[in-house]
Amino acid sequence: MIIVRAPLRISFVGGGTDLATFYRQSPGRVLSGAIDKYVYVTIAEIPFKKIAVRYAEGERVDHPRELKHKRIREALLDLGLESHLEIGTFSNLPGQTGLGSSSAFSVALIKGLNLLKKNKIDTATCAEGACRLEIDLVGEPIGKQDQYASAFGGINVIQFNPDESVTVEPQLLGFKERLDLENNLVLFFTGITREAASVLTEQKQKTTSGINIETLKKMADSVSDFKDALFAGDFKRLGAMLHEGWLRKKSLASNMSNPAIDDLYDSALASGAWGGKILGAGGGGCLLFVVDPQKRGAVEETLRKVARKHGLSDADVIPFSFVHSGVEVVTNSAH
Amino acid sequence: MESFIKEFSAKATQAILALPSKEIAKALAILQGVYEREGRIYVFGNGGSLALATHFVADLNKTVFSHNLDKHTRRFQAIRLPSTESELTAWANDVGYDMVFAGPLQNYLQDHDAIIAISSSGNSPNIIKAVELAKKNGNPVIGMSGFDGGKLNQLADAKILVTTPKGEYEVVEGVHAVVLHLIVKYFKNYFDYLVELGKAK
Repeated sequence: MIIVRAPLRISFVGGGTDLATFYRQSPGRVLSGAIDKYVYVTIAEIPFKKIAVRYAEGERVDHPRELKHKRIREALLDLGLESHLEIGTFSNLPGQTGLGSSSAFSVALIKGLNLLKKNKIDTATCAEGACRLEIDLVGEPIGKQDQYASAFGGINVIQFNPDESVTVEPQLLGFKERLDLENNLVLFFTGITREAASVLTEQKQKTTSGINIETLKKMADSVSDFKDALFAGDFKRLGAMLHEGWLRKKSLASNMSNPAIDDLYDSALASGAWGGKILGAGGGGCLLFVVDPQKRGAVEETLRKVARKHGLSDADVIPFSFVHSGVEVVTNSAH
Repeated sequence: MESFIKEFSAKATQAILALPSKEIAKALAILQGVYEREGRIYVFGNGGSLALATHFVADLNKTVFSHNLDKHTRRFQAIRLPSTESELTAWANDVGYDMVFAGPLQNYLQDHDAIIAISSSGNSPNIIKAVELAKKNGNPVIGMSGFDGGKLNQLADAKILVTTPKGEYEVVEGVHAVVLHLIVKYFKNYFDYLVELGKAK
């Protein structure tokens, strides 16, 4: 049995600049941090000529090409693993929360399947492999930031170059800066889940046609200012920057927000949050706010109240910590 | 006599001021990651460096939590290699001195672990063997070296090099002790702050 886990991530600034339609024209940059919520992938060898897969559904097939689960199907076909396997997944949070869970899954899957083939791959190879799986083999209209954020762990500035190379620059915050940052952030799950693809398809079309290029350039440039404010512990400024980013992001695709999300966002700011953003592609998932720790309780209460008003029964605050580790092998009893 | 003392102090001060702060920050991040994922830290060196390794293991396992021992149930798991004299002499006598660290390390090393290798020259064959084993397995390596850093400094992920003329063992080992205590102090403050925030595990 092999068990691999990969962390989810909070993306602060630069999201969308990791799409090839943008970074092939101008380098993309994001700043994000891995958190202590994980996607686990388990791989067990079985004595039957079958492939069994367990996720929200269960599948049992004679050949991987028959699988409905696209990522597992393409990964198995690509690696030439045809039978005698059972693959399952568990996670600390549901999917489609805007925290990069599907890419964390791909990262853990690539690491685990390679390990099964006695191939110990390093972090960068694992991230590249997950990008290739999702973008090239499955054909998702997504970017590359989540795979790198999850594989590497920690808080990083990640740069996407026109030649497809990616550089990961760890942001070495001291414990005080890191814990104070956590103390100033509120992560709120809206209870609305959506496929990233639905929002990104419109965004991609607008980028290809040149409408979004200038906005995305500003978003990539904002990474260095954000980084400076982060190291200075200027949380008010961080909040203001996230707010600007949120307004920009809303202009990228019409379905980025909706009335319930706007209401949650505006109410949090009215209760004292300095600024915030929607995490992930948009349209649902999680909201992140920068909050004066003194007003934290009030903001959290307001968010819960507004969510109830909109009938969002799954909505809630998610406590979290940043983590320094990326993808890791939890158990490998196959060696 | 006083001029000798002043001269030595000046060399030591110069070496401390030239410490690579970014590399030490990387080492702190590596150790933080190992703590979070409940991995182990293997520390080793030859002669005086082995004594430093022993001292550091004790500080990391106990001293950093000293202010609130009862509040921290999750602690560092640092191990000095080899952990028994019997292993040290068995590997040296039966296989060769170059295997005294790599041999025992092979028994323990898991994916979530990290190593700290201490070698003033950075070229001791037994140190390099163990570092190569860790690198091959994909474990983070913190290398503490002196002089020009040698092979250890090239291989390490966190390159803590105390730059001195060749042969200045006293300055290098002294400054290594300072860096190890810097790490101890950083984590002591961190664990105190966790208690203050009510976040101790």
